[in-house]
Amino acid sequence: MDSEIITNIFGDLTPVATIIILAIGVLSFPAVQMFGKKHVVTWIYALVIALVALAVDIILLMSDYAGYYAGEDDMANWIVCNPYTLYMQLLFLTVLTITVFVCHSSIETTKNHSGAFYSLLFGATTGMLFVVTTYDLLTIFVGVELTSISSYAMVALKRKDGRASEAAVKYAIVGGMSTALTLYGISMVYGTTGTTDLILLQAIMFDGPPFTWLFAIGMICMIAGYGFKIAMVPFHMWAPDVYEGAATPVSMFLATASKKMGLGVFIQVFLFMFIMAKTQVCGEAFQYVFAILAAVTMTVGNIVAIAQTNIKRMLAYSSIAQAGYILIMMVVMTPEAEAAGLFHMFTHVFMKGGAFLIVGALICAGIGEKISDYKGLAKRAPLIAFAMMLFLFSLAGIPPLAGFTSKFFLFASAVGGPGDASAEWVWLALVAILNSAISLYYYARVVKAMYIEKGASTEKIKIPKPFLVAILVCVVFVIVLGVYPDLIFGYAEAAANATFGI
Amino acid sequence: MIAEYTWLIPFIPMMCFLIIGIIGKKTPEKGGYIAIAGALSAFIISAAVSYEYLTGDAFDAGEAITSEIEWFQIGTYTMHLGYYVDGLTCAMMLFSSFISTLIFIYSLGYMHDQGERKNRYYAEVSLFLTGMLGLIVSSNFLELFIFWEVMGLCSYLLIGFWSFRHHDGDAASANAASAAKKAFLVTRMGDVCLMGGLFILLNQFGSLDYTTMFATAELVAEADPDMLTLGLLLMFGGVIGKSAQFPLHDWLPDAMAGPTTVSSLIHAATMVKAGVYLVARAFPIYVMDGNVMLFVGIIGGVTAFIAATMALNNMNIKKVLAYSTISQLGYMILALGAGGYLWSLGYYELGALGFFAGCFHMINHAFFKALLFMGSGSVIHGTGTEDMRLMGGLFKKMKITATTMLFGCLAIAGIPIFSGFWSKDLVIDAAMAAFEHGTADGATWFIILWVLAVITAFMTAFYMFRMWFMTFMGEPRENAQHCHGESPKTMTMPLVILAIFALISGLFMFVGLADMLPLHEGMELVTLDGMEEGIELFKNPYTYLTLILAIVGIVIAYLMYVKKTINPGKFNKFGESWLYKALTKRWWFPDLYNQISWKLGYGVAKGVNYIDRQIVDGTVNGLSSAVVGGGDAISKVQTGHVQDYSSIVLLGVAVLSVVVLLIVAQLGGL
Repeated sequence: MDSEIITNIFGDLTPVATIIILAIGVLSFPAVQMFGKKHVVTWIYALVIALVALAVDIILLMSDYAGYYAGEDDMANWIVCNPYTLYMQLLFLTVLTITVFVCHSSIETTKNHSGAFYSLLFGATTGMLFVVTTYDLLTIFVGVELTSISSYAMVALKRKDGRASEAAVKYAIVGGMSTALTLYGISMVYGTTGTTDLILLQAIMFDGPPFTWLFAIGMICMIAGYGFKIAMVPFHMWAPDVYEGAATPVSMFLATASKKMGLGVFIQVFLFMFIMAKTQVCGEAFQYVFAILAAVTMTVGNIVAIAQTNIKRMLAYSSIAQAGYILIMMVVMTPEAEAAGLFHMFTHVFMKGGAFLIVGALICAGIGEKISDYKGLAKRAPLIAFAMMLFLFSLAGIPPLAGFTSKFFLFASAVGGPGDASAEWVWLALVAILNSAISLYYYARVVKAMYIEKGASTEKIKIPKPFLVAILVCVVFVIVLGVYPDLIFGYAEAAANATFGI
Repeated sequence: MIAEYTWLIPFIPMMCFLIIGIIGKKTPEKGGYIAIAGALSAFIISAAVSYEYLTGDAFDAGEAITSEIEWFQIGTYTMHLGYYVDGLTCAMMLFSSFISTLIFIYSLGYMHDQGERKNRYYAEVSLFLTGMLGLIVSSNFLELFIFWEVMGLCSYLLIGFWSFRHHDGDAASANAASAAKKAFLVTRMGDVCLMGGLFILLNQFGSLDYTTMFATAELVAEADPDMLTLGLLLMFGGVIGKSAQFPLHDWLPDAMAGPTTVSSLIHAATMVKAGVYLVARAFPIYVMDGNVMLFVGIIGGVTAFIAATMALNNMNIKKVLAYSTISQLGYMILALGAGGYLWSLGYYELGALGFFAGCFHMINHAFFKALLFMGSGSVIHGTGTEDMRLMGGLFKKMKITATTMLFGCLAIAGIPIFSGFWSKDLVIDAAMAAFEHGTADGATWFIILWVLAVITAFMTAFYMFRMWFMTFMGEPRENAQHCHGESPKTMTMPLVILAIFALISGLFMFVGLADMLPLHEGMELVTLDGMEEGIELFKNPYTYLTLILAIVGIVIAYLMYVKKTINPGKFNKFGESWLYKALTKRWWFPDLYNQISWKLGYGVAKGVNYIDRQIVDGTVNGLSSAVVGGGDAISKVQTGHVQDYSSIVLLGVAVLSVVVLLIVAQLGGL
């Protein structure tokens, strides 16, 4: 496809085209809400904007667009648009579209403030899009904050539920602290190297990094601060509370998009810096640090998930575990591993997103959040139960579903080839495989409740149509990406190559 | 070239699964005929492909027909989708699809009164068959693994088939549910090992395609024997799970909670055979490590023995059969282990004998075990119970079922002419050969295994005929009295066909089955002369030993359960002896698993959760709510939760710093 359609409209600003479109939405939703008589108008308007942004992104992605916006100050690294950017944006915009699509029919999201809600939602997404477009510690920080602050408010918007306000306050306070840590880390790195430009930093690392303790502490603070965003153990405590408290579409948005933004930051900041220093002590040290973090994150996530009785909390812990799997790419630091990680992020959107959608849809139909509420669901809503089973088994990594394929890619990249230097990470792959076995235990529990245990009622369940459509879309992708990974994987490889400058 | 259409073999049952799932409800028998048609066409294509392969040039040259397309590429690895046809594939797909067809026909009668739910049943068995056939024709281990998992998933659904509304009430439903979960989770343990093994093999070979791996096995084994050993052992873990070997054997008897046809499918044609097939398929790689093969043999022999002991005093007709399956699977694994062990020592002829014995026993077992299960299904259909104490004297009422089952019992007991005789004695022969030629430790092990195998042969004859006599001879007891006679034609017809196979399938050895399963030694082909091996059996004194033991077993069973001249109560002190109790409790394996999985697994999870949530949150929270006197949501926020989260974050930073410090120090400083 030709990118001219887009470049003709946006000219120099093409690299930020999607951001501009969403920003227009952010600014205009309150007005549309005010003048449009019905809520549905705002909803359709939001949906159109999300779809337009998605279309623009897909066109750019398929035409292999790459470019940058230097602006008047000629800051070449501020706005960079490459296959990686477009791939991540595709992920965020997909989540956004699904979220917007179901929000209107969910009973959990606010109707009275839908203008504000959509503004926050789009604002958060704008932040994500911006994060993956820029290669400077400070601009990345600004993007992350835009997303975070919008998210805090979004969680709080489910106003009638005490849990939501509790969650929002926790989220904001712990989030604020992680922000402080991040800034502290950035300032240390700036202090030792004199720059926040990641491309310059990469070059500095290549020359032999100024690996003083100051620098190391700076890196640790940044890892902790951004680790909060991806709910990496031990910075994960907020996630179950927040996912449980927030309206389910918002939980889905946070679990799939917000977390991926954090992982995006990991790629752009840490992976990008350390690929040049892999052979040096500092690079190797952080490889081990990430290996420990990945192993601990997936293990704690999976083990604690077993003891959960609330399905949203269970999904939250499973999300933590999934982040652990994805962290493998930070350990192995090869283009293959990054491509596999990026691909897993994408399949995770559909499987975890789909599971959250089902939870949200069932809440609308009056089913509770406890796993025991799902008893006998297969009789009451066969299609939904089947979809849920697919999502959960995909999360557990059972072939031929998408989760298996992407996990296979990840673990295979960790194993490396014969005589490959990365063969040292075989143990991590084995830990990850063992973890997928543990994870099956709690996924099977839900499936057992749905399919095998007897429910209190056998009444058929009706769920809102938009939810049904969104769930079906997720089902299709979970199956298609499982058997035909090349649909997305080619782009993931291109994205990884862009990071590695190949 | 029909072989080009090999992919249709798993594809047709898959299409049947979709068709039955979508429109099955509207067709007669809720999709039963579609399922039969699917299995039958799979069998016809298998037969055509096998005929073409076995008469073609590739077979004469000892090569496989294989073809594949690229599926995806990750880094330096390329994964393929394709088919791989050689003698082993042909044998496997022929008997799998043939027996499945018969089981589906039988289901028409057996599942007739299940109403709407038949639709789900036929859809799931079709998918099940897809899994097995796909696994057989796969051209690489990844593809095999995918079908392997599909089958695991289907077994979960099928074993739990009666979990919603069992005709025997709620207890039976709950039983079905827990059996399904157990089967799924236990086999999954094995699958995880298999997956780990595959990753290690991938790392070593750089590919998972059979052709590449078989060709480079020797080079890889030389390069890094330890990694290969680890990979093979992990891979065998998958076999232990799937083929219900010791110590993961316990799920199979519980899996009897499913419909009898499903048991028949799992035990005879599919599922548990997949594990044996995996060892046979990967044989060229396995033989690179004699110690692994010794381990394989030990697991097989021990399984054969332990499972046979548990069958001795069981009163449930299906469970007796389940234990006998495990025991027979142990025989197959033992033969493969012994063969591989001998091969790795350089005794290629004897190695090929072990390999052939394992595969041959798998084929024979498929026929007679399908027969026995379907026969027991016919009995259960007629009497409405699975408890043999409520049966008896059924021979007069169910002549066909009784006669065909007698054939099955004779076959499994290893009475000459019947199929089991040939293959079982070859297995025992292979163990003996491994003792005679093995090195120090290996030889010791194999003589123990040989003794176990011989005792198992005796026990097998005893418990099978105990089952047959208790069911068909003697006085009719409770349920047997109101048995309404022979089962319908759709059920007896497959029994008769299988009975014929139970009689003759052992003779396949004389008409070229041995040539069908050649092994490669470098460029050379090693094949057995079936005729010679058959005659050899009669010259071997040990053959007569097992035969006499088997007959003694049958006679004891006859005296105990028909003549009643020996009272079995005397031996077990009327159920009071510790041995009897140990056997009833299945050597306490289920309890052990419960302790491990439930107490330990869940306990750890609870504990971690407790630390994660309670100690960290709760102490402060509890204190504060005691002080404030009310624990509503807002007060929680004000009283420490968040501070705790924050302190954990800071603690995390501190720990990370220490970790970095340690690692950097380890790596040699700054």
